[in-house]
Parts: sequence; C-alpha cells; structure tokens
Amino acid sequence: MHSDLLRLIDEVRANKKQPPASGVTRATRLREELGFASLDLAELTVRIEERFGVDVFADGLVQTVGELDDKITRAGKK
Amino acid sequence: MSKNILITGVSQGLGLAIARAVLAAGWNVHGVSRRLSAEFAALQRGHAGRAHFHAFDLGRVDAVKAELCEPFLPLALPLHGFVNNAAVAYDDLVANLDAARLRAMYEVNVFTPMLITKHVIRQMLLKQVAGSIVHISSISVHTGYKGLAMYASTKGALEAFSKSTAREWGERGIRSNCVVAGFMDTAMSAGLTAEQREKIHRRTALQRATSPDSVAATVVHLLGDGAASITGQNLFVDSGTI
Ligand SMILES: NC(=O)c1ccc[n+]([C@@H]2O[C@H](COP(=O)([O-])OP(=O)(O)OC[C@H]3O[C@@H](n4cnc5c(N)ncnc54)[C@H](OP(=O)(O)O)[C@@H]3O)[C@@H](O)[C@H]2O)c1
Repeated sequence: MHSDLLRLIDEVRANKKQPPASGVTRATRLREELGFASLDLAELTVRIEERFGVDVFADGLVQTVGELDDKITRAGKK
Repeated sequence: MSKNILITGVSQGLGLAIARAVLAAGWNVHGVSRRLSAEFAALQRGHAGRAHFHAFDLGRVDAVKAELCEPFLPLALPLHGFVNNAAVAYDDLVANLDAARLRAMYEVNVFTPMLITKHVIRQMLLKQVAGSIVHISSISVHTGYKGLAMYASTKGALEAFSKSTAREWGERGIRSNCVVAGFMDTAMSAGLTAEQREKIHRRTALQRATSPDSVAATVVHLLGDGAASITGQNLFVDSGTI
C-alpha cells in the first residue's frame, strides 16, 4: 500500500480532531470504519489529487482503502 | 491577513471596480477575462505583485481545468475568495429564443462559474481556508424585465446554486452569497435609450442607477471576516427597487 495514502487519511482525521487511524488494511471501509462522511471524502480526494495527480472519485464510488490504493497505482502506470 | 481573491470579468465595468476595491482592502487579485484592458494593466502597475491577470475565455467550459485552474490557480495556492462577476446578456423575446445563443450564455454565466466553484472549494479544503464565494446576480431575477427572461434565468440558477453551496459547505466555514445588483451604467447596458433608463430609474427608491462602487464595497464586505456569519443570502444593492 502507498504509505502516503495512510498519511493523507490521517491528515483528514486530524482536521476532525481524531487520532491517527490504527490497523488500517486494504479492506478497511472508508465510511463505516474510518468514519469519513461525504465532506471528509471530498477533502481526502483533493489531498490524493494533490499528492498523486489522480481524482479517485471521478469515476464512481469508492468503498475501501484498497480501492483507493489501486486507483493510485493505476494512475501512476499511465 | 492578506487574502487571495479570484475575480472574473476584470477588464471593465463592475469587475474592474471590484478588483480596485479588493486591492484597496490590501488583498491580492487573481483577475480573469479575455483581454487585459489598459485599466487593469494600470492597476497592476499601481500594486506591484498583487494584481495577477490570467487571460481565459469563460465560454470554454471543457478547458477550465487544464487551461485556467491548473496553470494559474494550482491547488497549492490558498484562495480565500471567488467573485463570479463575468457574464454576458443575450436579450430577446422568448418568442425569438435561439438555442445556440442560449447555450453560449449558459456556458459563460453558469457552467464555467460552477466548475470554477468546484475547483475553488477543493483548494479551500486542501488549505483549510474558510473562504467566501460571491456571485453577482441581477435585479431582473426578482422583478422581471421584458427581453431579459433568458439572461435572468442564468442569474436565478446562480442564486439557487449559491444557496445550496452555502448549506453544503457551511460545516467547513465556507460561505456563499449573491449580490443582487440593480441597473448600472456599464457596457452591458449601453444599448438602452435615455427613455428606457429613465423608466428603470423611476422604479427605484433612489431614482438613479446603481453605483458599481457600492456593489464592489458590498462584495468586499462579504469577502471579509466581518461577514463571517453571513451565508446563503442574496444582498440587494439596487437603489431600492420598488
Ligand atoms: N450592467 C448592469 O446593469 C447589470 C445589472 C445587474 C447585474 N449585472 C451583472 O454585473 C456583472 C458585471 O457586468 P458589467 O455590467 O460590468 O458588464 P460588462 O461591462 O459587459 O463586463 C463584463 C466583463 O465580463 C468579461 N467577460 C465577458 N465574457 C467573457 C468570457 N467569455 N470570458 C471571459 N470574460 C468574459 C468581460 O471581459 P472581456 O470582454 O475582456 O472578456 C468584462 O470584463 C455581470 O455579472 C452582470 O450580469 C450588470
């Protein structure tokens, strides 16, 4: 998994005054487990776009950390 | 604190007055229009390094990201305000409505401003800026004028967009408001006869045209921290339409 992805997730959590996420795996669900609401996901999208140059929500809903990671990997190969 | 303010339609008229007022408030301007006017160039000379100009045709909806936002307004630039001022007026009777002209007007007045708003909100999210968005609307939305049905509909769309933007992003401190301007003596209204102007003036409490400087001062207020509790509103600066 891209290590910067975990850092970006924690940045969004920090803005919500939440501690860094622990035990995040590819299966971790963004909404249910990390507690990200729609505005938090929008913020995460921008942080990922700034870091990796890919808009991860541009083509539909994303549920898990692994799905985000795959989109970043795919964009990097283009 | 200095702010970076994006303003469209800065070459003349109200947009130029807003740029001048924003610079006078001590903030930086990122101005957009198709051409760099002598007046805006003079503002640039008078405020070294604080008045930036980006030439772009707002009718080019599909180029907004690649040719306006990415080169000139990178995500890393903290933006504190966006003034959606540029617009065109296609006036005619509804009975003569032409689809191509309607579409061209919606692209400049509505679609591109919405896309810029998307980009501006993303920048504000990244930089954690509680920014302010101001759309310039028109009194024609609220009174109705013969010949302005199509134009007024673009402004009505912006008022609705602004209201929901305010609801959606208020949680992050981002505000959105409209300034509803009355009739002003600018290039946009140059086609009116003296008689038509008189008629419009008589429909206001102050019996005169709206001053662009008064509209600009209201915009500056909405951009500033003094307006921190104002969002989702339409502020009428219209000589008191009656
Ligand atoms: N005048 C009135 O009576 C009145 C009343 C109520 C509301 N308003 C509103 O006030 C705002 C300002 O209008 P104004 O009276 O100052 O009009 P204006 O003198 O015609 O100025 C319009 C500005 O928009 C820019 N613009 C137009 N089309 C553009 C395009 N495709 N791409 C980029 N820039 C473009 C123009 O610059 P370039 O030509 O250099 O591109 C110019 O700087 C508008 O939103 C208008 O609807 C006006």
